[in-house]
Amino acid sequence: MSGTTPFFEIRNLHAKTEDKPILKGVNLTVNPGETHALMGPNGSGKSTLANVIMGNPVYEVTDGEVIFQGQNILEMDPDERARLGLFLAFQYPVAIPGISVAKFLKGAADARFGQGNVKTGPFLKQVREDMDYLEMDKSFINRSLNDGFSGGEKKRMEILQMLTLKPSLAVMDETDSGLDIDALRIVSKGVNRMVGPDFGLLVITHYERILQYIKPGFLHVLMDGQVAMSGGPELVKEVEKSGYDWIREKFGKEVLV
Amino acid sequence: MTTAQLSVEDMFVPGFDESSLPSDGSEPALLREKRAAAFAKYSELPMPTVRDEEWRRTDPEMFPFDEFTPAPALAPISVAPESGPWDNEFDVVVTVTDEGFHINDAANMLAEKKLVVQSLADAAVNYPEMLKRYMQGEARVKQPRKFTTLVDAFWNFGLFIYVPAKTIITRGVLIRYTHKTPGRVVIPYLVAVADELSELTIAEQYESPDLVELLALSAREFYAKQGAILRAASLQEWGGKTYHIGEDWVRAERDARVDWVSFLLGGQLSKMMVSCDVAAPNSNAYLSGLFFADKEQHIDQCSLQLHSSANTYSNLLYKGAVKDKGHSIYQGVIDAVPHAVKVDAYQMNNNLILNEGARADSLPGLEIDADDLKCSHGATCGNLDPNHLFYLRSRGLPEAEARQLLVMAFFEEVIARVPHEFMRERVRENVRHKVGVAV
Repeated sequence: MSGTTPFFEIRNLHAKTEDKPILKGVNLTVNPGETHALMGPNGSGKSTLANVIMGNPVYEVTDGEVIFQGQNILEMDPDERARLGLFLAFQYPVAIPGISVAKFLKGAADARFGQGNVKTGPFLKQVREDMDYLEMDKSFINRSLNDGFSGGEKKRMEILQMLTLKPSLAVMDETDSGLDIDALRIVSKGVNRMVGPDFGLLVITHYERILQYIKPGFLHVLMDGQVAMSGGPELVKEVEKSGYDWIREKFGKEVLV
Repeated sequence: MTTAQLSVEDMFVPGFDESSLPSDGSEPALLREKRAAAFAKYSELPMPTVRDEEWRRTDPEMFPFDEFTPAPALAPISVAPESGPWDNEFDVVVTVTDEGFHINDAANMLAEKKLVVQSLADAAVNYPEMLKRYMQGEARVKQPRKFTTLVDAFWNFGLFIYVPAKTIITRGVLIRYTHKTPGRVVIPYLVAVADELSELTIAEQYESPDLVELLALSAREFYAKQGAILRAASLQEWGGKTYHIGEDWVRAERDARVDWVSFLLGGQLSKMMVSCDVAAPNSNAYLSGLFFADKEQHIDQCSLQLHSSANTYSNLLYKGAVKDKGHSIYQGVIDAVPHAVKVDAYQMNNNLILNEGARADSLPGLEIDADDLKCSHGATCGNLDPNHLFYLRSRGLPEAEARQLLVMAFFEEVIARVPHEFMRERVRENVRHKVGVAV
């Protein structure tokens, strides 16, 4: 692959929080048009990885690179990364009373596409259509961002933002956790609408359930801050059937050797 | 120094002794009597000092009275001063400047007697019984402060607003204070009464140029009679060298509702007090404050929610931000008297501290002598939530923009309590400007 500029590549990524190392050399590549799933037991570093990719200042990167669109984005502010086309669907989206959904979406779209390029009328029309598609009540557009929203409503709001901002690479941090089957179906429907030859997706999840709706071409298992195993869709079935223990054993051996 | 001189200094605020009492013989006897009674009280009260709890964080000596002289009494001027951008939104516009005051009855509400807006001098002639009753009347539930008795004795502009029973005044009255002459002490006094089952909106705006040194002392009394709805919003946008000490009194009677809103944005140093008495069953009071102290501004506020009756409701929300070397103080008391059962009182003060070096003191408090009532209070102080900031930035908003948006969002709850959209927008603009691009 040398010679070509990678679309999205994580190289030997190390990160810590409060002196506790969490990521210990993550390597992972996503090409345009690919959907990758990342699984792993609690505490393996899945959410940390998502946050480090987006630039959450809580984490300190100690080594490695994240290349996106040919640039090492670790040197960029989170908002620069977003404007470049990176998107993180949060595991716990925050509620901000006093900012309406409409105002927030418009502000974000202005930042992403340039203020002059977003005409309010057509923009809001598109947002309403997207809300319809996600089976959201249109009154949400005038409510405060995520304020008083249920878990499922918050996650749908994340997907609405993704549809609005049209990223080229999205990371979904346990978007499926806490969703009932209907909400999961709707969220997946929204995500699948993004999937295409120019879009890369990294779905971080704790459960295989969502992978029945969003079919990944690749699966990676994260353990103790490293990708312990990678494979195709068959690996999903294997994890579903046998859990992580067998990978742990195998991984342990490899690392210890 | 002789003993006699010493005692005079203890008694009188510099510039305000017997010789400076308005001695205009043309003033109605009622007002002269009121002034004389107030002056007697003023003379008796000790000068507040930093040792008084209420002045512990704002030394009265910080107000440089000896550098200022009392402004002359204001007379009506026949030519309308320049109009303001909001004048068309109100039934009556009162303009107060250094030259005098002007009452514009564009909608003929005064002519048709749907509403009374008169100087206290005129009202003393036309409505003497009402002034006797409401000037320094029942709303004054506590001994007034020294500076308030000074206002009672020395006010240089007095206004009386009255809405007759069952009259609905939706657009209401705008009072614009614009003072430009440096070195003056201006002393406005307002008495407003919404009679039974009436509705009244009053908005006030205070302005001075940024570099002009001024001192304002004010007192306001608001009465919402049985079943009345009274909305009072004030927007303080004094320039950076204006000092202000003000005391408000609010009284809500049976089934009445008061919406009192105070925006403190300008001025060098402000010390503001409000006492609100929900005085009869099913009276409701909403007290809302927004303040923002930046640069070297100092804003000190205290509130009293008095429940002197059972079955009463009060809700106070004060939100403030401090930036640069700004300092804000909020002290609040909920007081429910012994027989006040079934009371519902709420008091909340939230503060944003936008940088190190800025300071916000919050001292909420309860004084409860009754049982079977619901009282809750709380206070928060802190910078913006880093999770909120990260969330907005992850959507492409640059840090400065995200911060500004979060500060605006913080204030929106209290801004929404103002009845006029143009006033809300003005406050938002003002706050945005204060937050600036780099915090």
